[in-house]
Amino acid sequence: MKAHAPVLTDTTSTNPFTLLGRFVIDGTSATRDFLSLVALTLMAVVTPPFRFRDTVKQFYFVANQSVLIVTFCVTSAAAVTIVESSFHMKIVIQNDSLVPGFAALLILRELGSVVMALLVTSRVGAGLAAEVASMQVTEQVDALKMLGINPIRFIVVPRFVACLVAGVILSLIANCVCLYGAMLVSTWKLGYTPNGFVTAMRGFVHFQDLVFAMIKGGAFGAVIPLFSCFFGFRCKSGAEGVGLATTNSVVATSVAVIVIDFVLTYVFTNFY
Amino acid sequence: MNPLLGAQAIFTDIGGCILFVGEAFRTAAKRGVLIHETFAQVWRVTMQSLTTTALAGFFVGALMTLQFSLLTKSFGALGYLGGLSTSATIREVGPLLIAFMLSGKVGAFTSAELGTMRVTEQIDAIRCLGASPFQEIILPRMIGIIISSFFLLAVGLIMSMAGGLLLGILFAHISPEEYLRHVPTIVTSYSVATGLFKCFVFAILLATICTYKGYTTTGGSKGVGRSVVSTAVTTMVGIVIADWVTSVMSEGLLNLVSR
Repeated sequence: MKAHAPVLTDTTSTNPFTLLGRFVIDGTSATRDFLSLVALTLMAVVTPPFRFRDTVKQFYFVANQSVLIVTFCVTSAAAVTIVESSFHMKIVIQNDSLVPGFAALLILRELGSVVMALLVTSRVGAGLAAEVASMQVTEQVDALKMLGINPIRFIVVPRFVACLVAGVILSLIANCVCLYGAMLVSTWKLGYTPNGFVTAMRGFVHFQDLVFAMIKGGAFGAVIPLFSCFFGFRCKSGAEGVGLATTNSVVATSVAVIVIDFVLTYVFTNFY
Repeated sequence: MNPLLGAQAIFTDIGGCILFVGEAFRTAAKRGVLIHETFAQVWRVTMQSLTTTALAGFFVGALMTLQFSLLTKSFGALGYLGGLSTSATIREVGPLLIAFMLSGKVGAFTSAELGTMRVTEQIDAIRCLGASPFQEIILPRMIGIIISSFFLLAVGLIMSMAGGLLLGILFAHISPEEYLRHVPTIVTSYSVATGLFKCFVFAILLATICTYKGYTTTGGSKGVGRSVVSTAVTTMVGIVIADWVTSVMSEGLLNLVSR
């Protein structure tokens, strides 16, 4: 008699109940793995031995090497937004006097930190996932385990700390440069004076907005390496697997960033 | 880094990219394009990036509606909200931001895949077997990414309208009819054409850069990570520059037409 394969390891089945069951089982095991990765990472962050040199190296990669591109892109996005707002306000009510103030509000509340985080996701997060997945495929992670080194402490923790700190700092820099770029654009294209822009801005935003933007940046930064390393460790073998791990991590991180943004915005509205 | 060396690296990249595209064209002319493989790539790229693009589009639409609802509310002109935010999203902001997200996704995926193929010597193996890696791997991906990115960006723009509508209902408390009433008066076919033209230019840029960077990967698993990162950076800078150029072009065209 032919031995029956367990139904859930049968990957060719199209029975809807089997599919649903596999989806649930895969989903719960993935969630459990992710939560345990988060917990182990947080444990390893606060317990010695610390890997200072690696953390600094990662920090250099995450913050220093992406600060230029991130501020450039965020500023250009803000410039486009401002020019478009003014153009359209002029179409309808021939008056764009409130554009600078609301642009500053939009930059500090949403655009600066979220676009920063999404760019860092596709720049750092994708690179990180590809690196970890390549390590998994070429069995370097297994080699680490064999040498008695905890791969989470060795790979995840330095990147986690570096991205957390870099998120705060990048958010600060991106927001400030972005406001400055907004001022330049409104001076050149829309005919405001710099003084007028600053006055309008101070009527709409306060210092606490910058602090909230930095908190958001830190939260987004912490999410990026967790998802990247999670998908990197789960990578199936082969070139296709590396690509798949990279895309999955970028998608998951982008969704997480937007969800966290909504939650944090909701929390922060209680403090304005 | 020495700025001179940096400038040299940039020019080397641009030149290498142009030569790469030339080689791709030559292969297409000499050996033909693998139709079936191209459509397989279109399907794969589209299905993998549909969620990201839809999400990014939704977010962009919501963001622009937020901005315009604050602006129009202070003038008591909330009725124009839908038309204004839809027009701004479709003309400029939507293509730019959605292309940023898409470049992160498609670019990272393609350059990681091609880079791993290069590092594990699969590309050399194809050449050894007497086949052309350009015909087998690069051309289908390039054409597939151009077609599917254009399609995905268009889907993102449609989703941005949905996102704006939802935020208008929830945040600005206006009814869907009121939101949509001014869309046809402010959004002209010209602005839709501008947005789609931008999408097309961004799609070509993205396809070229990510295949080039993946194909020229060197140096192990670290090299794959490096080429993924440099794909993202190069594509984003390229998209911003292309955005300026297309904006100036469309403005000039608008002046020509209206004169």
